[in-house]
Amino acid sequence: MMNKRIRKQKNRMTLGNLVVSIVLCIGSIIILYPLLWMVISSMKSYDEIYNNVWGLPSKWLIENYKTAWSIGISNYFMNSVIVTIITVLSVLIIASMAAFALSRYRSRFIDIALVVIMSGMMINPQVALIPLFDILTKLGLINTRLALILPYIAFRLPLSILLLRSYFLSIPREIQESAIIDGCSEFGIYRRIYLPMSKPILMTTIVLTSFYAWNEFLFATIFIDSDILRTIPSGLMNFRDALRTDWGVLLSGMVIATIPMIILLIFIQKHLVRGLSEGSVKG
Amino acid sequence: MNKFKNKIAAFLFLLPCLIFLFIFVFIPLFKNFYNSFFEYSVFSTTKDFVGLDNFKLLLTDKTIKVALLNNIRYAIISVIFQVGLGLVLAAVLEHQFFRKLAPFFRVTFFMPVMISISVIALLFGFIYNPQIGILNSFLELVGLETLSKAWLGNSSTAIYAVIAMSQWQSVGYIMMLFIVAIQRISKELYEAAEIDGASKIKQFFYITVPQVKETLFINILLTITGSMLVFNEPYILTNGGPGVSSMTMAVYMYQSGFFKDRMGYASTIAITIFIITAILAIIQIRISHTGKD
Amino acid sequence: MMKRKMTILGLLVLIISFTVGCSKANDVEVSSDNGVKEDQVVIDFFHRWPNEPRKSFYQEKADAFMALNPNVKINIDAVLNDSYKEKIRVLVSNDDLPDIFTSWSDSFALNLVSSGRIMPINDILEADTDWKDSIIASQFSGFTFDEVTYGIPFTIDGKAFFYNKSIFAENNLEAPKTYAEFIKVLDALQAAGYEIPIVEGLTNAWAISHYEGTILQRLLDPRVTEVDYNETTGTFTDPGYVRGLEIFKELTQYMGDVSTAIDHETARNMFAKGESPIVYMQFAEIKMVEDQTDMDFGFFNFPSIEGGKGDQNALTGAPEGWMLSKNAPKEAVDFLKFLTSKETAYDFTKADGQLNAIIGGVDAENSSPISMEAFNLVIEASATAPWFDNAVNINIADIFMRGGQSLATGESTPQDIMKEVQAEADRLRK
Repeated sequence: MMNKRIRKQKNRMTLGNLVVSIVLCIGSIIILYPLLWMVISSMKSYDEIYNNVWGLPSKWLIENYKTAWSIGISNYFMNSVIVTIITVLSVLIIASMAAFALSRYRSRFIDIALVVIMSGMMINPQVALIPLFDILTKLGLINTRLALILPYIAFRLPLSILLLRSYFLSIPREIQESAIIDGCSEFGIYRRIYLPMSKPILMTTIVLTSFYAWNEFLFATIFIDSDILRTIPSGLMNFRDALRTDWGVLLSGMVIATIPMIILLIFIQKHLVRGLSEGSVKG
Repeated sequence: MNKFKNKIAAFLFLLPCLIFLFIFVFIPLFKNFYNSFFEYSVFSTTKDFVGLDNFKLLLTDKTIKVALLNNIRYAIISVIFQVGLGLVLAAVLEHQFFRKLAPFFRVTFFMPVMISISVIALLFGFIYNPQIGILNSFLELVGLETLSKAWLGNSSTAIYAVIAMSQWQSVGYIMMLFIVAIQRISKELYEAAEIDGASKIKQFFYITVPQVKETLFINILLTITGSMLVFNEPYILTNGGPGVSSMTMAVYMYQSGFFKDRMGYASTIAITIFIITAILAIIQIRISHTGKD
Repeated sequence: MMKRKMTILGLLVLIISFTVGCSKANDVEVSSDNGVKEDQVVIDFFHRWPNEPRKSFYQEKADAFMALNPNVKINIDAVLNDSYKEKIRVLVSNDDLPDIFTSWSDSFALNLVSSGRIMPINDILEADTDWKDSIIASQFSGFTFDEVTYGIPFTIDGKAFFYNKSIFAENNLEAPKTYAEFIKVLDALQAAGYEIPIVEGLTNAWAISHYEGTILQRLLDPRVTEVDYNETTGTFTDPGYVRGLEIFKELTQYMGDVSTAIDHETARNMFAKGESPIVYMQFAEIKMVEDQTDMDFGFFNFPSIEGGKGDQNALTGAPEGWMLSKNAPKEAVDFLKFLTSKETAYDFTKADGQLNAIIGGVDAENSSPISMEAFNLVIEASATAPWFDNAVNINIADIFMRGGQSLATGESTPQDIMKEVQAEADRLRK
């Protein structure tokens, strides 16, 4: 009874609620309008972007998208896909192996390894930039996709390992013991018990890592020079320089770069929110 | 026997991870310390030992002061807007009244987080454009054209225009972290407060804030750390200009190393950034540990 | 137990082969050296135009050459401007130079030449005098050091003030000859309602350096700049530098508030749209303006400055050209000849609009009257001054360029900037 009354009260439209609603709507407009402007303007000609900032295009130039795709975005897109997939797979394999060891065994070596991995979280890409450039140059990797993939893997490992480890720790010991009795090897325990039981956290790791690899800008700009090897974030900057006045095409490229992430957001909201809250990936 | 075997297994399981971390994370860090005592250019084969000269230079460099100040501005404004506003937004959206609309607002506010920084910075380049920019056009539209200006071209507004873009992008992210935290708060606390007749504002300060205290601290630290490292936004929007007015530590490091060919000095700046962020990280680890135990 | 270890080891091998595997895939992408037949010659060709129209132009020319010489495979790579400078320096220091690549003249070329990894081409030129004589002789100087030639000039360029002829006519104005006249013209335009009589995009640091370089060339004794522009001897104590920056500051007052927020391209567009009557731009940009507008425009060289000690008629701008690596195969020489043939040059100017240094490569057919006028000015210039950002050490140039932005926003003074420059020069001299 009591509860119901309260609920009713809560749902009444008070002045305060009205003000808050209006503020929320204004906030949404501030967020959404620039994005909408980007989409609309991407189908305008240069003259219309310049002279008619607010209006709709007189002619919707869909071919801006075709142009953007064919003069480079398709290439950047493929590079981003390749870099992201290899990074994600490697992180998944390497991090889950490490997390398995950290959660299953106990020794001084494990303790030290854990500290090492945790202190890896304190080091940011910005700090490692210059020596990494030297190292990659010496290894002859500069200006190859590996110049992105290898550092991406390395900088994603500590966080992924800690996420996976805390999940692995929750896997009951009894299951492991029974597996050993059944004749499973250590590797078998890892592959047949830990991995299948950890699908949700593996999914979170995938999402976080692909989010990072897809959007990473600093390394992508500095370690890659060739246009044919650029990923989307750094490729777009080249696009800006190369297109001179074709703003419509540039904006189309920006929209194309955005779409996969928005789709991802809609589909994997749950994993993402979970990952963000556990992993704090702000970059 | 078994113990020994397990040791080998543990070692082998950890080996790939440790190799990656050492080559691409730890060795670079140590090399950075080492390099900061030298001066050399990207393409030279020799390094000149200069001792502490780079550190001395750092203390007298005016640009460093500007950059550090800009990082601090970034941190203060981001704490107020991202953490402060993010918390309020989260509390509002988790409130009973907005239950139905909350998913829409959540996705909307979170959307910019998902978009690549280069897209956002290019987009804001258009928004701030003095001629076609929708910001100035909007000000004109509502009769405030006296306020319109060349946002990125004015040394007193450039850094704030860059910071404003970051708030636009990141407030949804912090909001989401708070939403997760608020969802963990027991509903009974609010219901009890409701019965006692506590206003919503009181509920916010006496229930929500204390209950998410730990998340709040972590978010503040994360935001400050992020502000100390900020590179992409000023690099794309202003490249530190006009003059050095929107320079940040990371942009200055990049420019010193790759544009001006002073890798040693750039390493010194990197070390400075590392020390600042490492202190913040240690505090963060401390806090999250005490929270869990 | 053995089995377990083997599986773990196997996994490691898998990961390693996996990473190595993708490095191989990369190599194919970058240079596609794999699968090269015994008799096939691979030429690595590196230029700095990943943008149109030149990207396609050079691709087509390379394809055409490969069609004529089936045993040759040309790999093209291109990166933009600043990264090109960085990249080529890294490559030259690692002895990893592409066979044929583009280079600026003067100090940039000299830096490359000093590595000892650039092919001297005197003998090749002497062996093929037809080719040698097809190139405008005066343009070789920027690639010739101690009487050894290291590069073939191809594009030629210069910087001048372009003005909107109809706006000038409406206001009874004429192209100014001296700096004092120039200021009068700017004042008159401002009085006539043009808030921004001269437009420039100061977010592009190089645009600032082009102004500063020309002003300093006009003001200073060439003997002074020769000493100062060399990082081992420079002091930058001549009072002319402060005066030069004052002149630049005076000019920025006519550029409006937007100047520090826009780039050079936006500035050029504003000129093309008739919003601003004057812009300082390169001859290479003429076609871009022509493509946008039918407006009638002309140009004048940077006005002479009263009391200046430099050549008052000098033109700022320098040719760009091609260089060969010392290890380049002889086919690369053939490709160079192909790239600098009259036909290629003619097509180039037709497609791009930029003028070239090949005799017969520019005529009234493939260039507009104003481009022809510019061409004659370049050929007949009494002296050329190199781009300032290429002429001095980058640390000095950076202070001048960022200082230029601060001057425009009123944050700094010429004296402060020169103090900073002098301190940096002291550091570099050590």
